[in-house]
Amino acid sequence: MEIALLAFFAIGYFVLAGADFGIGMLLPHLGRSPAERGRVLAAITPFFLANEVWLVTALGVLAGAFPVLEGELLSEHYAVFTALLLGWVTRDAGIWLRGRVDRAGWRAGCDTAVVAGSWTVALSWGTLLAQTVEAAPPVAVPVIAAVAVLFCAHGLALAGLRLRDRPRERARRPFGASGERTVYALTTGGTVLVCLLAGSRLPLAENLADPATLALLTPTATVLVPLLVGTQVWLWWSLGRIRPAG
Amino acid sequence: MDTLDLARLQFALTAGAHFLFVALTLGLATLIAIMQTRATLTRSAVHERMTRFWGRLYVINYAMGIVTGLVMEFQLGMAWSGLTHFAGNVLGGSLAMETLVAFFVESTFLGLWIFGWDRLNRWAHLGVFWVVTLTAYASAYWVLVANGFMQNPVGAEVSGGVLRLTDAAAVLGNPTALTAFGHVLSASLVVGAFFVTGVSAYHLRRRTAEREFFRRSLRIGVFTGLPALLAVAAFGGAGFAFVQPTKEALFEGDAAEVARLQAEAVTAHGSAAGLADHLPPMGLVQAGAILMFIAFVVMLVVAVPSALLALSRRAVLGMRSWHVVLIAAIPLPFAAVLGGWVFREVGRQPWAVYGLLTTEEALSDLSPGVLRFSLTAFAVLFALLVAVNVWMLARNARRGPVTAPSLLDEPSDAPAGPVPVAAAF
Repeated sequence: MEIALLAFFAIGYFVLAGADFGIGMLLPHLGRSPAERGRVLAAITPFFLANEVWLVTALGVLAGAFPVLEGELLSEHYAVFTALLLGWVTRDAGIWLRGRVDRAGWRAGCDTAVVAGSWTVALSWGTLLAQTVEAAPPVAVPVIAAVAVLFCAHGLALAGLRLRDRPRERARRPFGASGERTVYALTTGGTVLVCLLAGSRLPLAENLADPATLALLTPTATVLVPLLVGTQVWLWWSLGRIRPAG
Repeated sequence: MDTLDLARLQFALTAGAHFLFVALTLGLATLIAIMQTRATLTRSAVHERMTRFWGRLYVINYAMGIVTGLVMEFQLGMAWSGLTHFAGNVLGGSLAMETLVAFFVESTFLGLWIFGWDRLNRWAHLGVFWVVTLTAYASAYWVLVANGFMQNPVGAEVSGGVLRLTDAAAVLGNPTALTAFGHVLSASLVVGAFFVTGVSAYHLRRRTAEREFFRRSLRIGVFTGLPALLAVAAFGGAGFAFVQPTKEALFEGDAAEVARLQAEAVTAHGSAAGLADHLPPMGLVQAGAILMFIAFVVMLVVAVPSALLALSRRAVLGMRSWHVVLIAAIPLPFAAVLGGWVFREVGRQPWAVYGLLTTEEALSDLSPGVLRFSLTAFAVLFALLVAVNVWMLARNARRGPVTAPSLLDEPSDAPAGPVPVAAAF
């Protein structure tokens, strides 16, 4: 059950936030003017914190149900997690602060922060995957590149769903005849597979927390999951119909 | 500096930056929840505009609290894997609960609140903000359960080299956690109240157009600040009953007693790494406590007459010398909060979990090089974030209530009229 909870939150993060990273990575391609880039980011701004919190919760479940493994994973990959955090914070600050100052230089700086931060996050996850599957250096590079491509494709699919006009056309161009829904479903499937593959390499079952802890944590978490998903469904339902004009 | 010092400094910078942002976030949330409740109940236009103006400042600050909090959560596992290894059965559970019961819902509802302003039913929108506020409190509770356990480990026993939970109720009701929770919540209310009061005083002193708006805001700030200040002292005093003997001796400057306690600990836990050669720095512990007490006394000296002056409409609108004092008082609660935090956290060294696990034992196996890199990178990033945050807050506070496309956008300079239902904000 604990493994299912961890998988649920981790997969939820990569599926939801992964598309945000892709959009951030391809921001200069999707939006060719500051105003267009503003509309591209406006498509993800109401949701990105709510998407990222899936990872925070996955980390919480990891710390609660697999505490020894949590410490070992994070400290073993200390440098990559440092890069991940630096990219993450830079990216979030860029999204959050972009509209706050109505000056061209400020917007350009924030766009740069979003793009650089998104690439750093994507490449850090790629590196972590390569390290988790213990890929030898010649294999690691294609693994990292494949992760970046997956994030980009997933982001384009979301951009196709959420944007309008020219940014939407740019997002849809690589899809050929397939619709953005099909691509989104495919990239979601790919993301889930990668998560399951990486998760299967982690020594989860042998690192469970003490039964006394799990006796409290697991039922509470299980009961809460529908409620948590419900809050997010409300968010998507209330705000998902807004398509920023492009 | 050795690896331990670098890792401690890094965690201190992260937690310190986080605490500054979060104290303001928590305090402002409470005040905004009150303003929005009044706006919703009475359809009062001025309270609706107050919710938007203070909400804008709240949202600027909120994101900074989140990103520093993320770095802190990861750092626990990255740099202190000895702690998760030894105490994970207790601390991990409380961090998991923090994310599940509080943070997940809080982040989701914050998006709903910011972007749902004209889309949600007004009662639903008010409910959303109360959920954001209450989940923020719940976050603080769960974090302080973890911290309280590290200060005063109860409800668990060591077996097979790790801690195992024996009495969850004792962990959840740990007096060190509960008194700290009350202390931190009321302290954050003081931070928020002094902030609202100071910004309002700035506008009243400048005689800007929004006199009624800031007269009401100032009164809300003053009438919350004084009781919150008294609550801070009450919870702080109650917490003193549970202060560890070493911290007390350090605070009192009793070097002989510190040495005696140290020798006693070495006899009891001789094998614990770093116990014999790491003493908490007495000067820093005392400086933290003194800063906290002095800031408290000054705040009280400001808050008591302010509560009387705020009864007079003429004083609120026109007493400019008082306004200067209120503006100057904005940083005081931040100083007190940092001082108190240094006292609490530095004062329990060299223990990570008091009496059970030393900080040196908690440290991950890391090279000084990688720590020097991450410390430098995080320090630069946080310095930038603090600077941008202070600048943004000052900029938006000075402009007063103005219209903007959303709480995340720069307002235009046209003053906002009373906001009609479903107007752009």
